[in-house]
Amino acid sequence: MSDTPAIAAAKGGRFLLPSFTRTTAFRLTLLSAALFAFSSFVILALVYAATLTAGVRRADNAIAQESVTIEARFRAEGVAAANRYIVQRSVAGGEFLYLLNQPSGRRLSGNISNLPATQPDAQGRVRFTYERAPVGGQAAAEPSRAARGLISELEGGYTLFVGLDVEDEARFVTYILNAVLIASGLAVAMGIVSGAVVSRRFARRLDDINAAAREVMAGRLQTRAPRNFSGDELDDLASNFNDMLDRVERLMQRMRSAGDSIAHDLRLPLTRMRGRLEAALVEAGDLADREAALAQAISDSDELLKTFNAVLSLSRLQTGERRRAFEALDPAEIVADVAELYEPVCEETGHDFAVDAAGDLSILGDRELVAQAVANLVDNAIKYTPVGGAIMLRVRSTSTGEVEISVTDTGPGIPEEERPRVLERFVRLEASRNLPGVGLGLSLVHAIAEVHGADLTLDDGPGGVDGSGPGLRIALRFPQHHP
Amino acid sequence: MRILIMEDDKQVAAFMCRGLREAGHVADAAHDGEEGLNMARDGQYDVLVVDRMMPRMDGLSVIETLRAEGAATPVLILSALGEVDDRVDGLKSGADDYLVKPYAFAELLARVEVLARRRDPGSVQTQLSVGDLEMDLLARTVKRGGEDVLLQPREFRLLEFLMRHAGQVVTRTMLLEKVWDYHFDPQTNVIDVHISRLRSKIDKPFGSTMLHTVRGAGYRLQA
Repeated sequence: MSDTPAIAAAKGGRFLLPSFTRTTAFRLTLLSAALFAFSSFVILALVYAATLTAGVRRADNAIAQESVTIEARFRAEGVAAANRYIVQRSVAGGEFLYLLNQPSGRRLSGNISNLPATQPDAQGRVRFTYERAPVGGQAAAEPSRAARGLISELEGGYTLFVGLDVEDEARFVTYILNAVLIASGLAVAMGIVSGAVVSRRFARRLDDINAAAREVMAGRLQTRAPRNFSGDELDDLASNFNDMLDRVERLMQRMRSAGDSIAHDLRLPLTRMRGRLEAALVEAGDLADREAALAQAISDSDELLKTFNAVLSLSRLQTGERRRAFEALDPAEIVADVAELYEPVCEETGHDFAVDAAGDLSILGDRELVAQAVANLVDNAIKYTPVGGAIMLRVRSTSTGEVEISVTDTGPGIPEEERPRVLERFVRLEASRNLPGVGLGLSLVHAIAEVHGADLTLDDGPGGVDGSGPGLRIALRFPQHHP
Repeated sequence: MRILIMEDDKQVAAFMCRGLREAGHVADAAHDGEEGLNMARDGQYDVLVVDRMMPRMDGLSVIETLRAEGAATPVLILSALGEVDDRVDGLKSGADDYLVKPYAFAELLARVEVLARRRDPGSVQTQLSVGDLEMDLLARTVKRGGEDVLLQPREFRLLEFLMRHAGQVVTRTMLLEKVWDYHFDPQTNVIDVHISRLRSKIDKPFGSTMLHTVRGAGYRLQA
């Protein structure tokens, strides 16, 4: 299908225009220039119309007055008196035009020769043009001049015409009209020029930002848009654009290191499992040996599944979807439930376990997630605290009005410089690499805290049970909820 | 019993069918939602295992359609998503249980068997008994061989769940979900410790074991 000629022309025309005419800045400038031109045109047109009407009315009034004067003289003193008056006024060189015709239509007196050719209206008013008689021997052929007049029928069949030259007024009005048109044209032209200038400047700065975006798309992630620090909208755009790129870069780095860590955490158990299965297959062990190898393989794969599930829930948490299911929760109840779940475990592992939960507090959150965070902290405390140590679960309201859930243990603690790192995904401190469990516990707690707008802080505990370290106190501080 | 698997991954479906057959069940597989819906309408299945994401018709729509037609067959829904909201959506659509991928086959088998032998929810029981173990749900008392056994409230609920599913394998995850209402995975085997506490009350003093460990799967209460 081919385009109609009109469309083809329109398309072609678009390409012929200079590129700056397609910019927003140019269009806006042009639009404002056009609006300005249009509004000044309207205002001046109104002035023009008002001037014109006023001039016409003044002329008509003067004509009517003069006509009435002559008519009165005609009625009172007869045609001769009227005739004399007209002759006197004509000779005096006033601005009026006169003509008095006999009933036969012959000219009796006056300073024009014929009645205007144009048709008068119902009141006898008429618009016409005439040529002024040469004055004082000047044979200059003057162009026809605009005039208005009034034709009245007198008694006895006489016809009286009184007119007035309005050429000067008409010319003045025409000057105004021309000025209006020229000013409007100039406004549009200046609009085009200033639009081009503004849009060039605007486009150059946008081009810089666009170029930076293209660089990033081409894979050079560290590229940033140039800023002029003027604080205007474009500078703001560049600044936001750069901040966004910073965040994207950070996220990508985090993802890459998370990917590396996942691979690392999964490779070890997978290799171990493969080794066991291979050994069971190759070595001529008895049935019991093979069964033991299979059972171990199942438990290895369970460990892998746990890691997968933890990664999945961590990813889901970090998208923040869970927040919409928040409700008012009693932290003491949640802590009591988790304590009830772990108390027998502590008894078996030989840890002293204590709970101190203040009532009448409320937080906004997801019961399951908060319970999971507390369970994870208790899990960790059990794992890292030597036998005979103590674990304490506490809920209290802080002096600043927050609700604090804390887990304190008497284990080795975490050195201060390592604390920020343990909250990241998969990081497990080198010293504890040989302990079972995935390194996701604390990062999951951290993610849960973030979703709830809670602070997660790590401090030294009350001292290690056997001088092995300072102990650890991990606290989650939730904003107090007032139902 | 007869089980219908709706799962678009043919390898996974074949693996599930084989496992269920080895456990003594009849298992069929459908590979998309429409096929599954038609098979579920025609066949007399005891349990449906439905994957949430399937071509042509997703799992939730299949379940909603079946429920709207009045079918009461128990449904276990499988999902790769696995967060609370997904579970709520799944259960709202009419599914009876929810299992998150990746899962252990033993977990699937245990849940399917529990679903298939689910008692009529309309009849309210006040007494449970397995062998010489008796539970009075109104008086909140437990007796074994006529002797009183004193249990903590949570131990009571744990035993109640085990007695309601006597003879069936229940997994640790099932216990954590149904008795504690937690859907996350504690890293320590907390359930084992609670079970061993329960054992020390209902088994040890009586010299015979009712609460068995099923290796690689979970526990079974049996007379």
